[in-house]
Amino acid sequence: MNLTVNGVAHEVESGPLTSLLDVLREELAITSPKAGCEQGGCGACTVLVDGVARRSCLTPVASVQGTEITTVEGLGSPSDLSPLQQAFTHHYAAQCGFCTSGMMLAAQAYIDGGGSDGHEAIQEAIAGHVCRCTGYVKIIDAIAAVARGDEFDLTVTASSAGMVNLGGAV
Amino acid sequence: MAVHRGRGIAAIEYPTGMNQNGDPSQAWIKVKPDGRIDVFAGTSDIGNGSKTIQSQIVAETIGVPYDWVTYDNSNTDSSPVCTGTFASRATFVAGKAVEKAALKVREKILEIAGKELEIDPSDLEIVDGEVVAKGAPQKKIGVPDVAAAATWGHGELITGTGAQLKPYATIVDPETGRVDLPPHSAISYASCAAEVEVDDETGVVRVLHLWQCYDVGRAINPTLVEGQIEGGAVQGLGLGVLENCYPYYPSAEHRGGQFGSYLAPGAENLPQIDTIIIENPSSDGPYGAKGIGEMANNGQPPAIAAAVYDAVGVWVTELPITPEKVLRALAAKAEPRRAGKLVVFDEELSVNAVSDGGIRFEVPA
Repeated sequence: MNLTVNGVAHEVESGPLTSLLDVLREELAITSPKAGCEQGGCGACTVLVDGVARRSCLTPVASVQGTEITTVEGLGSPSDLSPLQQAFTHHYAAQCGFCTSGMMLAAQAYIDGGGSDGHEAIQEAIAGHVCRCTGYVKIIDAIAAVARGDEFDLTVTASSAGMVNLGGAV
Repeated sequence: MAVHRGRGIAAIEYPTGMNQNGDPSQAWIKVKPDGRIDVFAGTSDIGNGSKTIQSQIVAETIGVPYDWVTYDNSNTDSSPVCTGTFASRATFVAGKAVEKAALKVREKILEIAGKELEIDPSDLEIVDGEVVAKGAPQKKIGVPDVAAAATWGHGELITGTGAQLKPYATIVDPETGRVDLPPHSAISYASCAAEVEVDDETGVVRVLHLWQCYDVGRAINPTLVEGQIEGGAVQGLGLGVLENCYPYYPSAEHRGGQFGSYLAPGAENLPQIDTIIIENPSSDGPYGAKGIGEMANNGQPPAIAAAVYDAVGVWVTELPITPEKVLRALAAKAEPRRAGKLVVFDEELSVNAVSDGGIRFEVPA
């Protein structure tokens, strides 16, 4: 079976009913999709299948043969972050990070679909993704910033956003 | 039947930092020959921002730019001991340990710089990565040059260690029988006001707005503090109205069998959250900081309960405030229903009316 993940073609040996999540994590060692509830409830395993956000834990790999799979690794690289990755960094939208990859792919699908910076629309877009750390506020801020087309300077200095309080050093 | 609005407020006091229980945190800092700073500590960053905050403390204390500092907490075996990231202690206790270590490093940098500049170290200060003579800023040497001189010229390693430990409190003195409990040094204060909407037909409580005010001593990184408070707000909302493992504890009968039957708050439950940070410094924390992790989800449930009372006039005294509990409380408060027409069950008539096949419909004489 063939699977294209982040632009790279893979020959997959797992059985056809193996979940896409297990194929990605166990066979291809792409670990950004997280195994959370594995019941389709938490959203942490979300990947893009031909641009559509799907729960990889509930997706038999046979059903996505020949499609283009995107995980967070495919959005950008550490030296060339995608706008969403920059926005999540700038707005401190990740704490423990477990929900972040799924959240980011749901957001990518929302942005690609022409989503607005309206908070209610964003809340709806990420409603199926559970985050226990952030209280969603900064995640929504980050997605709204990308929808608006904000640009970010991620150079970290003591005077960067959020670091203003100790000041003196720089 | 209507939807009612109500507001409630709760105030809390919280001993942050767990600093009376013999929990040590240690840190070790060394300076590379090029002036970059390596910090080794066992304090894990579980998303609370320890790496960022400890690096900020080190950069500020030594006097170098933030991005010169690398915080290595990758290995608790080779790192100095830290009992961990819990009890709101990572910034308060472990942050103090790195501050103490950084002060020693600063001292050592000034000592080596003093030799290089031939100026007494007490007349030197470190500003933005440069050691400068006080009152004579033209006399200076960069920290990277000091580090190189230490390594290649003086045969020294610029390093420093620090540890923070408040000894275990003696609760009762065995000789006198007196209770000797030193005052906790990082008591924090917070309040939360909640606005809710209660539907008296369905019993559903919707949290519309949370105003949150937290004393954090010193917000070393205000955005991270805000993140803790916002996250705590939504956790508190979950405790207040949604999350329940055993709805009829200790009976396990209605325990949820799936992920989805445990109601963790989702983005659609998000109320408007307004955050106010108050800085009322502690004596023991780094730069006056207190902990903010745990207390951030304590104020919301009582504020929500008070708001429900304000809205529909009933106190729900057990969390979470589920629709069922609201309806039961409303029913208990309501006047008893007026007795209607008395219906007497006639067994024989009934048997005739509903029994097999529905064919015998004659009324007995």
